[in-house]
Amino acid sequence: MENNLKNRREFLKEMSVFAGATTFLASIPWMKAFAGSDGSAMAPSDRVRIGVVGVGDRGRALLMNMQQIENVEIIAVCDNYEPNYKRAIELTAGKAKAFYDHREMLEMKDLDGVIVATPLHEHAHVVVDFLKAGIHVFCEKSMARTLEDSKWMVDVQKETGKILQIGHQRLFNPVYLNALDRVRAGEIGQITQVRAYWHRNSNWRRAVPSPELERKINWRLYTEYSAGLMTELASHQVQVANWFLDKIPTRVMGSGSICYWNDGREVYDHVALVYDYDNGVKCLYDSMIANKHYGLEEQIQGDKGTIEPEINRIYSENPPAAPGIRQLLHSIEKGIFETIPIGGASWVPETAVPYRGQIIAPYDNNDTFLQLVGYVQAIRNGKPWKNLLREGYHATVAALLGLQAMDTNQILEWPAEYVMEKDL
Amino acid sequence: MKDIVISNKRIKREIWVFILCFVAAFGLNIYSIVKYKTEWSELIGQLPIVLLLAVVIYLLAGLLRWAVFGIVRLIQKK
Repeated sequence: MENNLKNRREFLKEMSVFAGATTFLASIPWMKAFAGSDGSAMAPSDRVRIGVVGVGDRGRALLMNMQQIENVEIIAVCDNYEPNYKRAIELTAGKAKAFYDHREMLEMKDLDGVIVATPLHEHAHVVVDFLKAGIHVFCEKSMARTLEDSKWMVDVQKETGKILQIGHQRLFNPVYLNALDRVRAGEIGQITQVRAYWHRNSNWRRAVPSPELERKINWRLYTEYSAGLMTELASHQVQVANWFLDKIPTRVMGSGSICYWNDGREVYDHVALVYDYDNGVKCLYDSMIANKHYGLEEQIQGDKGTIEPEINRIYSENPPAAPGIRQLLHSIEKGIFETIPIGGASWVPETAVPYRGQIIAPYDNNDTFLQLVGYVQAIRNGKPWKNLLREGYHATVAALLGLQAMDTNQILEWPAEYVMEKDL
Repeated sequence: MKDIVISNKRIKREIWVFILCFVAAFGLNIYSIVKYKTEWSELIGQLPIVLLLAVVIYLLAGLLRWAVFGIVRLIQKK
């Protein structure tokens, strides 16, 4: 807890530092309010009362992070799966009202906001119910199972003016924010490509107590409820690509397959896609769950450098030279031990130069916590952060369009009706 | 067991040899800074490497001295 509180203090401190940089603010407007320039709908001492709908693994993590934030009270929990329902009561020490159906929560008069962490296909109608009831919503990513549902959520948010924040925690991660600042300052030059991947080596299954619960518990594996790797993993990383490029793709193409886990699942276990942007830049994306050697990364590649925010590294295309004495010793060593090829290969493989780069920002953070701090702050302000929903919406549209492109084996243009204009 | 006695004179001589090795290593550092056009701050920043290099040179010089000493002893015996 001490660590979380420290993070929060550092976060708020950093936000005020960031608020001084004009270019930074222009690119990430929702940060402005952290500098204290925004009007407040609530006094800082007023308690923000939150409900949590869906207390599975992710819901539990969000609930526990929320409990660490000062002056926040979890007053309601909801889950229609008995073990999760009981666990939610335990986590709140019985202080929160517990429900099996979120519609009963709508009648609570004292609810300021909710967290929705249900399976993906349930997001849309649950979120819309709360927004229409005048309750702010934090919804775990991705937004919805279908493009239509995602748009519906956005439309209702616009109608009601309530907060709808999508759980893309990298948007609040100081490493990413610092990296973005450095990209905008031209440190890696012009972005020429984003290469992103997420590799795991596991079957992605949860233990099922009885067979009739298979689809309820392993909903990620069935197309009725989930778009698999696209909505669970890719949406995070395509969001990063869009954010750093400050664009949305014009078209997408890809291929998906079940290449390893032939266990009755319906969603792909291996996907590879290309997202095209209007300036010719591409985001190359792949995800699989049968090899984890390379883990996950979003490689933001420019003509002057590369950023790997997941491992907090920035690299120059022209790495600084080694100290003179080391160069001299290396040269002597080469002179003694290197063999002279006679009639050998005239080509040297252009393998990557081993170079560790530099740390982007010294920060050991929990960005899940930070995004919830942002959500609570938005509730206190009484209005959504500008353009924050746009990021989550476009990430979901990109993920779902990607799936559609793979399913239909077509190159798909980004439909004009799914473009959310920037709020200037 | 027989005690090994190292005379004061010998210690002084070894210290001087090591200082000479260190000066040689330091000189190599200056040469490399000029040759590779790197920062002069490396004169201080690379001191650990220079020290290590001095030890290596000292050990190599020791081997050489030991070999020379052995050869001289062999010639004198004949």
